Amino acid sequence: MKSAKSGVKKTGYRKRDYQAFIYIAPWLIGFLVLQLYPFMMSLFYSFNNYTVGAVPEWVGLKNYVKLFTQDTEFWNSLKVTIVYTLYTVPGKLIMALAVAVFLNRDIKGINLIRTLYYIPSLFGGSVAIAILWKLMFLENGLMNAFLQALSLPTISFLGDTRYALKTICSLEIWQFGSSMVMFLAALKQVPRSLYEAAQIDGGGKIRIFFTITIPQITSIIFFNLIMQVIQALQNFTSAFVITNGGPMKSTYVLGMKLYKEGFSNFKMGYASSISWVVFTIILVVSLLLFRSSSAWVYYEDQGDF
Amino acid sequence: MKKKALTLILSLSMTAALLAGCGGGSDEQPSQDAAPQDTASSDSNADNSADNSEAETAQTASDEEQITLRFAWWGGDERAEATLAVIEQFEALHPNITIEAEYGGNDGYHDKLATSLASGTAADIVQVDPETFPTYVAAGDYFYDYAELGMDMSNFDEAYISLEINGRYNGSQLGLPSGISGAGLLVNKTLADEIGLDFTQPYDWDDLIEMGKKVKEYDPDLYLMSMNKEYIANLIVFNYGKQLAGGTFADPDNNQIRITKEQLEEVYTYVKKLFDEGVIPPASYQASYSGDELQNDTNWIEGNYVATFTYISTMDVMVAANPDVEYYAGQIPKLDGAAEAGWASNTPQVFAITKTSEHPEAAAEFMDYFFNNETAMETLGTTRSVPPTEKARQICSDNGILTEWTMEGANIAAAMGGTPNDKISSTNEAKEILFDAVESIGYGAKDPATAAEDTLNLLSGLLD
Repeated sequence: MKSAKSGVKKTGYRKRDYQAFIYIAPWLIGFLVLQLYPFMMSLFYSFNNYTVGAVPEWVGLKNYVKLFTQDTEFWNSLKVTIVYTLYTVPGKLIMALAVAVFLNRDIKGINLIRTLYYIPSLFGGSVAIAILWKLMFLENGLMNAFLQALSLPTISFLGDTRYALKTICSLEIWQFGSSMVMFLAALKQVPRSLYEAAQIDGGGKIRIFFTITIPQITSIIFFNLIMQVIQALQNFTSAFVITNGGPMKSTYVLGMKLYKEGFSNFKMGYASSISWVVFTIILVVSLLLFRSSSAWVYYEDQGDF
Repeated sequence: MKKKALTLILSLSMTAALLAGCGGGSDEQPSQDAAPQDTASSDSNADNSADNSEAETAQTASDEEQITLRFAWWGGDERAEATLAVIEQFEALHPNITIEAEYGGNDGYHDKLATSLASGTAADIVQVDPETFPTYVAAGDYFYDYAELGMDMSNFDEAYISLEINGRYNGSQLGLPSGISGAGLLVNKTLADEIGLDFTQPYDWDDLIEMGKKVKEYDPDLYLMSMNKEYIANLIVFNYGKQLAGGTFADPDNNQIRITKEQLEEVYTYVKKLFDEGVIPPASYQASYSGDELQNDTNWIEGNYVATFTYISTMDVMVAANPDVEYYAGQIPKLDGAAEAGWASNTPQVFAITKTSEHPEAAAEFMDYFFNNETAMETLGTTRSVPPTEKARQICSDNGILTEWTMEGANIAAAMGGTPNDKISSTNEAKEILFDAVESIGYGAKDPATAAEDTLNLLSGLLD
């Protein structure tokens, strides 16, 4: 106790204070070896011509120049990724919020219903669920059998360039559970007194939702928005498993391109440069969202952390 | 206090050792171990040549320490069952050796293999696609020479295993062929007879279009052939193209592309015709059954195709998907007077022993059992196409395991005797370029002329 107190007073560290590093060593080592090292190495590789198994050869910015000026596939992948993000993020947020509002009531068996709605998210980005999606939307799959039963024309969900990306987006939107749970928690935090006051003033349900509920939960909307954008820009599993980037590269997201260049074509240096472009995009988008947050996000504690 | 700090430091160093063990083991250990292994292998060599009997080998082996080997392959259930059975037989004979099987589908197998080879974590024995194998051989010194490990290769036909595609690179037997395969045409005899189509006589590519039209006249819901973009590229574009160009697509020795724009355009025009005339299903339909998934196509299962281009090693799989009709192996199309037949006959897979293996001599012993033991030959049957050795072929046909279409298909492919793809056009990247081109033609996004021009531009980018 004594030594701890005196340690705080002094400006420099005492010998004993370095013990702290031992306590955080498991995390520190994990971070250095599994995160910082690969992170820095991928930056290094992105400036190299590096084939798997060979010695990296320094080529400067050549990978990036090729990516931006010669590789037409890259621009297509970028476009697909952005479209994917624009579909899934709002889609998922709206879906999650709508379901959360629906579930935010006291009726019999509400806990069971909440659990059921959360189940799709438990499967997360798993391959099994992507395969299920593929089987459902096959040319002769469940969805088309359903359409046929209703005497509607069948749709080539996975084979038509117009629908393939949307089919994949629907899988992502379907997994709205984790956002929903957070929205549900946020909805419960909205003070009842506000609603009561509004009701006394004669506010309609829709008006109450947009002028009280939404502003009160903006902090959670913001959090979900950031997390979903990051997740969407990194998407890989569904595009890889369900359509393998096709048809006609209409679902060839940047994650797919990165994987193919690195693991099928063995061009690790080039793949690293793609991953750094993705990283930069995520960084810039996140920063922009944070910038904008001061204008529209409400914190009960005035944003003090 | 001191005790606590000591415990912490100790546990810390253990964690560090654990991490270092994971990372370092890959690149440092093998090179150090390589030397003693070599001597060990030549020892077991001597044993082998002195006395080939199983009991003897088993005895020498049981004196040694416990050995665990990893064996990776891809393939269907039948192949897995047979291979696992052979592993059990081998383990019974060699109680000190345990073989861990790592098997699954073809999807992503080589992506994973490339990474594990580079990181030094590949299985001891790996099954590799012969067209991908050159990429690995060029990328690094990953595989043992079987001759160096004292493998008995006398059952193999020297002319066959000496081909690069079948595993011999610059005099080193880095891979051993799992069988004799190639592409073939599997015909639904029941349906073909009904419509009046005959694939037993030689024909050329245009005849296929005519037959396709006949099928459509007979019943508009049927197609002549089941197809997807990978099969169109690998079997139609490559073979038609090689027949036109009189050689493989690229000429690696002179570092140039051999096939001309006009020739490629002709091939692509033909592909377009296949789509336009309804000889094969539309591209949007094929998209659901890409890669090696033709057997999952519900139209195939329901018997709505007259035939399919396939690999001889996959014929039994295709038959199993719709076993209620009769089949035979049909002739494969060839242009009149083509100097190069295109259709090649080679192994569907090679087996290689990786340099990171700690017990290459034990791995070679297993391969010896796998290829040279009669019980193993019988168990494996034709799960990897027509067996690579004359002895195994005899055993299989004696036991009626070798299906007629498989044997016939292998004969047809062997009679064609075309040249396998060169090392440039057999790379993943080159194939992807062709897949994309075929797809864009199928979807009508590009006309054959543009597609041919784009393909050649991209292929030239692969030259050194």
